[in-house]
Amino acid sequence: MTSMPSTTKTRSKRAAAALLLACVTALDGVPAHADDAAVAVVERTTSGVITILTDQKLSTDEKRKRVEGIVLQSVDFETLSKLVLARNWTRFSEPQRTEFMTLFRNHLSMTYGRNVESYKNEKVTVTGSRAETGGDATVKTKILRGGPGDVMVDYRLRQRDGQWKIIDVIIEGVSLVSNFRSQFQDVVSGGGPEKLLRLLREKNEKGEPLKSS
Amino acid sequence: MRTSPRDRLWAPLLAIAIAIALALAAPLTATAAESDAASAGVDADYDPWQRMNRGIFWFNDRADVYVLEPVAKGWDAVVPERAENSVSNFFTNLRFPVVMANNLLQGKPGAAAIDVGRFMVNSTIGVGGLFDVATLWGLQRHNEDFGQTLGVWGVPPGPYLVLPLLGPSNPRDTAGIPVDYVLSVTPLFLSSYWWTGAGIISIVNARAQVLDEVQQAKSASLDYYVFVRNAYYQRRQALVNDQQDDSGTTPTDDLYDLNAIDDQNSK
Repeated sequence: MTSMPSTTKTRSKRAAAALLLACVTALDGVPAHADDAAVAVVERTTSGVITILTDQKLSTDEKRKRVEGIVLQSVDFETLSKLVLARNWTRFSEPQRTEFMTLFRNHLSMTYGRNVESYKNEKVTVTGSRAETGGDATVKTKILRGGPGDVMVDYRLRQRDGQWKIIDVIIEGVSLVSNFRSQFQDVVSGGGPEKLLRLLREKNEKGEPLKSS
Repeated sequence: MRTSPRDRLWAPLLAIAIAIALALAAPLTATAAESDAASAGVDADYDPWQRMNRGIFWFNDRADVYVLEPVAKGWDAVVPERAENSVSNFFTNLRFPVVMANNLLQGKPGAAAIDVGRFMVNSTIGVGGLFDVATLWGLQRHNEDFGQTLGVWGVPPGPYLVLPLLGPSNPRDTAGIPVDYVLSVTPLFLSSYWWTGAGIISIVNARAQVLDEVQQAKSASLDYYVFVRNAYYQRRQALVNDQQDDSGTTPTDDLYDLNAIDDQNSK
């Protein structure tokens, strides 16, 4: 959004009014626009990732490591893991939970880290945001691949210790949390926590070598 | 062949197709909604026909791995990406009557008008639909079909259903297929010979455009069948709710309710 210099004053006045309104509505508990800080987290993360991906000097492996570092900083992985396991979370002992989080994180970074190679100069733009009931925020983005090839990606964020963290990624309407929850639910209800951990371990060990296509 | 005027053929066919669609969708989905919505918790996992579905899914996957994927890989190796996009644009442009009609049936005349504009721009300046100029001009592409229209009318999807060769579906969306076929008009102008050929090219080209994505989905999932089942449910839900809008794009809020989990924890 381009703002003309002459309208800066009115804009700041409006911003002040909006802020006031936001405070009032926040007290009322009425959902308003999402917190700017939440939007900032998504913007910082996506632009950080793109900076790494476009860095010609970095090797693929190095890129993967750095991207993972940035992403993990912005994700509340414990909450994400809880949401994915849902009511099954209670069936996991403390050590099992820890192991699950490690295995699941490795699984994600292995499968999605592969995308580092297929990056083709796509840009990301934030298209909107909204406050969800219960205090979460959703930040809507678009990966620009030229016209109809654009991909809509929404991020769900939750505050933890005063910091906004990503707790779900929703690609073209498909929530990662919901999708993994369905898959893990099947496994855990059939073979308990141990079976899920075993399957994840096996999957990670196989590690399916990277294919450059 | 007798020469019957096309518009006379068209109207009763449409009426019949809609009738069939409604008849198919209504009873199946009504029982589905009653029996399991409460107990399943997650509608995305409602799959009483799982044994049959898994069998068909396995068959479809073999057909893909042994026939479609290799052909699509060959196509992908020969046809440049830009050309693939143009082929995709071309067939999308031909789908214009389906998209427009469904937008009208969903009570979205504005969107239908955009569809008309898109068709006119892309068919002319876009060289017969090969280039999606309309999107560049801000005329947004819509994804509509009769399954979605039924969803907008309040028909629930019903249980998960895998169709031979056609893939993931549900009774509601399956009922939409014959309606969309009639709405597409194109078969009326083309001999089945051309129609079949075009259909094959369209399918191979579409498959070629998602070679990496399918590969990744398979390696990212513990159970590819459940992955697809869940993704199909969520995606269709999002399309029915028209995720372009600001409203209703995200999954239901209870997906994110940790209290529900912790409550069980304390018991």
